[in-house]
Amino acid sequence: MKKIYRITAIALSMLLMLSVAGCGASDGKVHLTFQIWDVYQRPGMQAMCDAYTAKHPDVVIEVQATSWNEYWTKLEAAAESNTLPDIFWMHTNQLLYYADFGMLADVTHLYDDIDPDYYENHFSEISRNNASGSDGNLYGVPKDKDNGHLVYNKEIFDAAGVEYPNDDWTWDDLVSASEKIYNATGKYGFMAYNDDQLGYWPFVYQAGGYILNDDRTAAGYTQPASVKGISFYVGMQDYDWCPTQTYFTETTPSTAFFSGVGAMYQEGNWNLPQLMENYPEMRGKWDIAKLPKCPDPLSGDGRATMSNGLCYSTGAHGKQLEVALDVIKFFGTEEAQRIQGEYGAAIPAYLGTEETWRSAFDAYDEKLNLDIIFEQFDYAVQAVYNSASPKWKSQVLDQLTKVYSGDQDLQTGLENMQTIVDTETAKKLADH
Amino acid sequence: MNSGKLSVASRREQNWGYFMVAPTIIGLIVLNVWPFIQTIYASFCEHLGFGHYKFIGLENYINMFQNNDFWKATGNTLLFCILTVPVGIFLSLLVAILLNARVKFKGGFRTIFFLPMVCAPAAVTMVWRWIFNSEYGILNQIFGIHVAWVTDPHVALLSCAIVAVWSAIGYDAVLLLSGLQNISKSYYEAASIDGAGKITQFFKITLPMISPTLFVTMIMRLMTSLKVYDLIYMMVEETNPALTSVQSLIYLFYRESFVAGSRGSGSAIAVWTVLIIGVATVFQFIGQKKWVNYEV
Repeated sequence: MKKIYRITAIALSMLLMLSVAGCGASDGKVHLTFQIWDVYQRPGMQAMCDAYTAKHPDVVIEVQATSWNEYWTKLEAAAESNTLPDIFWMHTNQLLYYADFGMLADVTHLYDDIDPDYYENHFSEISRNNASGSDGNLYGVPKDKDNGHLVYNKEIFDAAGVEYPNDDWTWDDLVSASEKIYNATGKYGFMAYNDDQLGYWPFVYQAGGYILNDDRTAAGYTQPASVKGISFYVGMQDYDWCPTQTYFTETTPSTAFFSGVGAMYQEGNWNLPQLMENYPEMRGKWDIAKLPKCPDPLSGDGRATMSNGLCYSTGAHGKQLEVALDVIKFFGTEEAQRIQGEYGAAIPAYLGTEETWRSAFDAYDEKLNLDIIFEQFDYAVQAVYNSASPKWKSQVLDQLTKVYSGDQDLQTGLENMQTIVDTETAKKLADH
Repeated sequence: MNSGKLSVASRREQNWGYFMVAPTIIGLIVLNVWPFIQTIYASFCEHLGFGHYKFIGLENYINMFQNNDFWKATGNTLLFCILTVPVGIFLSLLVAILLNARVKFKGGFRTIFFLPMVCAPAAVTMVWRWIFNSEYGILNQIFGIHVAWVTDPHVALLSCAIVAVWSAIGYDAVLLLSGLQNISKSYYEAASIDGAGKITQFFKITLPMISPTLFVTMIMRLMTSLKVYDLIYMMVEETNPALTSVQSLIYLFYRESFVAGSRGSGSAIAVWTVLIIGVATVFQFIGQKKWVNYEV
């Protein structure tokens, strides 16, 4: 009897081992994983992978999507244990951190066999900068580009008898339109919420200020022009027509906008396809416009919007580096970037294919004024980051939250933000 | 015991014993003890990135003790315990006693009270956030009040405590219920013959008899409350103006370690939290001698 138990136990443990071993591929193909953080872009990414595997039947690529926050926690842990996914998206906030630690494969010479100046010929300077490490080498193949713009509710504007936002709108128009809308309809005007890229950053650059200087070694929070931009942005909360930050904690600006409570807010173009899809009853009742310009900038022409871009990267020590590099090389070709655009995943970084993104909206009869997004690229500012970004970004946001909640005045907040960015940046520079 | 004197058979039995507990012990060492030692080491280091640490001595602790947010978080955590443990245990005991009484649909009620424990905390907090919503939430609508439950710095911690108590009652009540059912009926019969009323019976029989279970429940509840994180994280995002008045030590630890990437100072917070839990547990074990009754 005892013997039977023992044999069963041994058999069971062998079974367990077998099932573990079964996880390894046994079909003779190369299996790659491709990690992304935006589930809405999955179909586009999948289509690109399919296009690649159609030409290389010996490769299988699995697209895995997680949430933004989880993505970075996971990716860092994976990098530490040298188990990075074979291909993954890289964001400008994090790229320098990963690249400077030698985690990412250098792809500067990836296209040398086709064209030594491939990147210069096919990608904008902002796109290339977004994919460059501190040493100037490229650590990712540019994927897409984006910018922030105004979203407005046509019905509310009509009800208040206010003219729709146009290309010549200034901050003053933004304020007076908001005021009229609030007085006439009781709805909120421009909903200015506590954010950087889609919040105060563009306003700082419109006023002629800057968040980081040109070589990204020092912050510009206390520069007069920056102060002008941030004071205007934060000051909007004091008007009756702007909800408080407390309100936004419970109701995001887009929720408020699409339930018809507010007339305007700042949105990133990457969200537009899903907004069209998610709010069918609102289609045709809203449109997009350029961000208003600063009427009296301390320098420049008062125009600015933030433009960011992602890139495709692979780990420097990947087990299947050769194949992974070949895949991201394909992702940077016109063919792949076109697929990305046509699936409406994002505006392709590849020059000349940007307009393919328009097809994301083909399914809808109601049209958005998409031209303004492409026109805004002419004066778009590269999203702000340096190698210390991961350290200072949330601390700076904390400071602004304290300003909004009245725990400290703007002056103190800006001085603290300046100190935080400068100290963290100096620390990072000293480490290298 | 002198193992040298053990017979071959009993020595073999002993080896089998070690073999059988080995998975648990190894698991404990690999998953708990070793990471804990690493955490202590990391608290004296600066995290440069991707697992590279630089020893910096006490700097993390010095910065931590000078940080207002840290003291605020410690206060929040202790306040959260005061809000949840006594009230939670009292309500659980009440529910357990009611469920132990002869009521119809007893099984149904037990299930209902236990349900929150089965729900994912993320789902629970999502529903509660709708209830608490200051504009459209059902709570404000019913009472016709306008309280910013989640965003008012003075109220937000209370709201979190309400959700915590609500989620925990079922589990604690089931534990206490099992304690109640172990009490022999003969005590109550004897007491009623002696003329003791229901209330006297409760204080003289029920309470002393379930005190061991009550003690275990209290220790567990206190530890979970000191370690609270997921609930507050789900209720209060980082852009919420009430954040500093609500964030617990573990929430602060998370933000330091994973959002700001400073694993060193995050580890220092973790070590501090372990110290607090240790002290609280020692006090409870000293206190139990005074009120917990282990005689049956």
